[in-house]
Amino acid sequence: MSNIIIKDVKKAFGEVVVLSQFNAEFADGEFITLLGPSGCGKTTMLRMLAGFEKPTEGEIYIGDQDVSSPKNFVPPERRDIGMVFQSYAVWPHMTVYENVAYPLKMKKMGKQEIKKHVEEVLETVHLSQYAQRIPSQLSGGQQQRVALARALVAKPRLLLLDEPLSNLDAKLRDSMRFEIKEIQKQLGITVVYVTHDQMEAMTMSDRVIVINKGVIQQVGAPTEIYRHPANQFVADFVGKINFLKATSKDKVLTLAQSGQTLPYEGPLKGDVVIGIRPENIRLVSIKGDFEGTLVSKFYLGDVNDCRIDLGGELIRVIAEPTTFDVCEVGQSFNLRIDEFTVFEDTGEDEHTKILT
Amino acid sequence: MRVLNQQAPLKQEKHRWFLDPKWLIIIAIVGFLLVFQVFPLVYLVFRAFFSTGTFSLEAFKRVYTYPLNWSALTNTVVAATFSMIFGVLIAFPLAWLVGRTNLYGKKFFRTLFVATYMVPPYVGAMAWMRLLNPTVGSMNMFLQKIFNLGSAPFDIYTMGGLIWVLTGFYYPYAFITISRAMEKMDPSLEEASRISGASPLTTLRTITLPMMLPSIVAAALLVFVAAGSCYGIPSIIGVPGQIHTVTTRIIDFVYIGSQEGLTDATTLAVFLMLIANVVLYLSTFSIGKKQYITVSGKSTRPNIVDLGRWRIPITALVIIFALVVVIIPFVTVALSSITVNLGESVFAEGNITWRYWERIFTRKSIINSARNSLVSAVMAATFGLLVSCMMAYLLVRTNIKGKKIPDFMITVGSGTPSVVIALSLIMSMSGKFGINIYNTLTIMVIAYMIKYMMMGMRTVVSALTQISPSLEEASQISGASWLRSMKNVTLPLIAPALVAGWFLIFMPCFYELTMSTLLYSTNTKTLGYELYTYQTYHNQQTASALATAILFTVFGINWLLNKLTDGEFSI
Repeated sequence: MSNIIIKDVKKAFGEVVVLSQFNAEFADGEFITLLGPSGCGKTTMLRMLAGFEKPTEGEIYIGDQDVSSPKNFVPPERRDIGMVFQSYAVWPHMTVYENVAYPLKMKKMGKQEIKKHVEEVLETVHLSQYAQRIPSQLSGGQQQRVALARALVAKPRLLLLDEPLSNLDAKLRDSMRFEIKEIQKQLGITVVYVTHDQMEAMTMSDRVIVINKGVIQQVGAPTEIYRHPANQFVADFVGKINFLKATSKDKVLTLAQSGQTLPYEGPLKGDVVIGIRPENIRLVSIKGDFEGTLVSKFYLGDVNDCRIDLGGELIRVIAEPTTFDVCEVGQSFNLRIDEFTVFEDTGEDEHTKILT
Repeated sequence: MRVLNQQAPLKQEKHRWFLDPKWLIIIAIVGFLLVFQVFPLVYLVFRAFFSTGTFSLEAFKRVYTYPLNWSALTNTVVAATFSMIFGVLIAFPLAWLVGRTNLYGKKFFRTLFVATYMVPPYVGAMAWMRLLNPTVGSMNMFLQKIFNLGSAPFDIYTMGGLIWVLTGFYYPYAFITISRAMEKMDPSLEEASRISGASPLTTLRTITLPMMLPSIVAAALLVFVAAGSCYGIPSIIGVPGQIHTVTTRIIDFVYIGSQEGLTDATTLAVFLMLIANVVLYLSTFSIGKKQYITVSGKSTRPNIVDLGRWRIPITALVIIFALVVVIIPFVTVALSSITVNLGESVFAEGNITWRYWERIFTRKSIINSARNSLVSAVMAATFGLLVSCMMAYLLVRTNIKGKKIPDFMITVGSGTPSVVIALSLIMSMSGKFGINIYNTLTIMVIAYMIKYMMMGMRTVVSALTQISPSLEEASQISGASWLRSMKNVTLPLIAPALVAGWFLIFMPCFYELTMSTLLYSTNTKTLGYELYTYQTYHNQQTASALATAILFTVFGINWLLNKLTDGEFSI
């Protein structure tokens, strides 16, 4: 258990820079998620923490020990880290017990002690009755737990998880998410978790680091990332959002197409992009901020997913399921905007999709 | 609902299973194999036990009480066993160094070691004979001079020499098998070990090695059978030193020509076949199932082990190995082909000549043999590929019940030693049972197909496996007939594999020696046999020129193959 400092880390494979200027500090016992689309460099960062990749530049400290710097490099086996791989990497030629006992054996621990620790950790991951099975007799979820047990058994100072849930089916993913979080709380261990799934990031993390194209976009608690995204990429990647082009003048935002307006207290002037999350728009009967016509509606059970035309802009609105029965396509509505974010219009079209 | 009203099916499928073309294909292939493979082999075994018309072990008694045969048996087992052990001991570290470490020049070494696989084994024997001849071997003389030795340090005409050459030419079999298995292994299995606190060496010992064990055993058995059923090397290295093996004895017996000789050959062949089939059974049907399937979820590059301060010494060691085992032999053969007097250095005054090269391109018998080899190799490759394609389709795209039967037969055929295949064809296809194709190229083509068809089949099968059937279905749903879908979608996608498969059958047939030695007639001599007679009876330089020409052809084809298929295929 320990804090981690990543200082000016840069990684390039030949000419290709996959990670530039990575600076971060993780506190002891913190659950950190590296979130980003595939190829953004998050796995590379994790592998550098593990010691499978050497940073091109920069330093990494685990618990104040310099594990990677231009002068010094500690190989993975001497870093005292536990890791769960995406493919589980459970050794098929060993039983569950042997798999889990392996890290302790490497520590030259006595047989009795190994037995005690392995049984303990198998209890934690609910696999006690499977100790003598070989991995091919286990389901994906069970293999996942074996991998987790193996990563935890030596009481490492840091636990790395590389998209551990991506090979599981949806239901199992849900329950494993809570289980991992539970185990982390119980052991108070520092965790670095890599995923491209924003749901996993939101539910488990103390802090999320959003990465894109090798650059950190935002660091913050899940609520902060979601409610106050630093830029359009973060807003778009985490959750659903409508982007509307507008101009800001005299504390009023005017939509580019329809000309509808919204009061604004912020500092931005000129061309801007307004980001509104679909669930922050309400269909109201009394006067709202916008007016629009219902174009389509989809009943999803827990919500009513609608598209509404503002007179040029098409926006997505996630409304109460009960509204499905009372509204008709073609009907006009008043819309109240509960919360929105304003970004500078960088001219890049990439994230200004009207619907996401 | 009205829309769901079904129209009558366009064409009523009748229950005409007997006209199903799939069955016809299976029947055709099985029929061919039954007549030309199964029946001859069964007849061979039958002849061994019923040599006099009634069941008797007389022949076995006679053959196996003859000391020379006994020593041939033990020689074969000893040579094959040691080649297997040394082959694996060389191949595993090499495969690991090339695949998993930061060895200098990995790619080059990999290509070099794999390339040896395509070289006809007798070329190695020719080279080493020249290098380590106890009296005039050039390497011997060189070592004698350097270390100031009184006598030659090595004698190639010994069991040790035989094992050395066999190992040098069969370790690539193990290298290829082990390398492939290593590539398929999920690298995170090793990374998981590292992060659990194991050093690279401990990881190699506790994870990599045990995980690879099934492949290593399979590779070992492969080397064992290949070395044990090899004829080219023992006939060139062993026979002059009075070291006979089962293969050389069989061919001697056939050459005697008498009925008794044939019986004796048969009896020895049965022994060889038995060993080969048991080994085949072990490696494909029992160990094959124990392969740990570990396909990784994403393609991380394998974790490269840093050799650290050992990087340069180990690279040096690999360079020396490559020099001794690959480069020096090839260069020796190439130089021999332009040397007038083999007793002197090539670079001695007036000792360089192109006359042997001229000879191989002008002498009629050589040109004839080359044509024979070309024709029979092209035919074997073409028919073999045809069968391969049909088999691939059956195996991958249909659920028809009997599809495993021809697959099994083809596997057994390729696992049967060449000598045995040829002998069984001689015995059964020379008119005794209504088919007389002895002394023709046809018998050669058939023998080649039985022995080498599997290489093509495996290539096409694995290519077809990678093509999702939905690609064909998408074409059919767009209105193309099954045949057009095959032509427009499937064929272009597997084309590289087809080219590769064709050459994989063509190449070993082109320079084949063992079967040709038994099946040739005056008009159907082949390149391999021509080379062998020049080497043994006439003129070693001409043989060397031929061997060098074959080497260039083989490497040229491989290079071409690499270009044609965008580097996807080469051997």
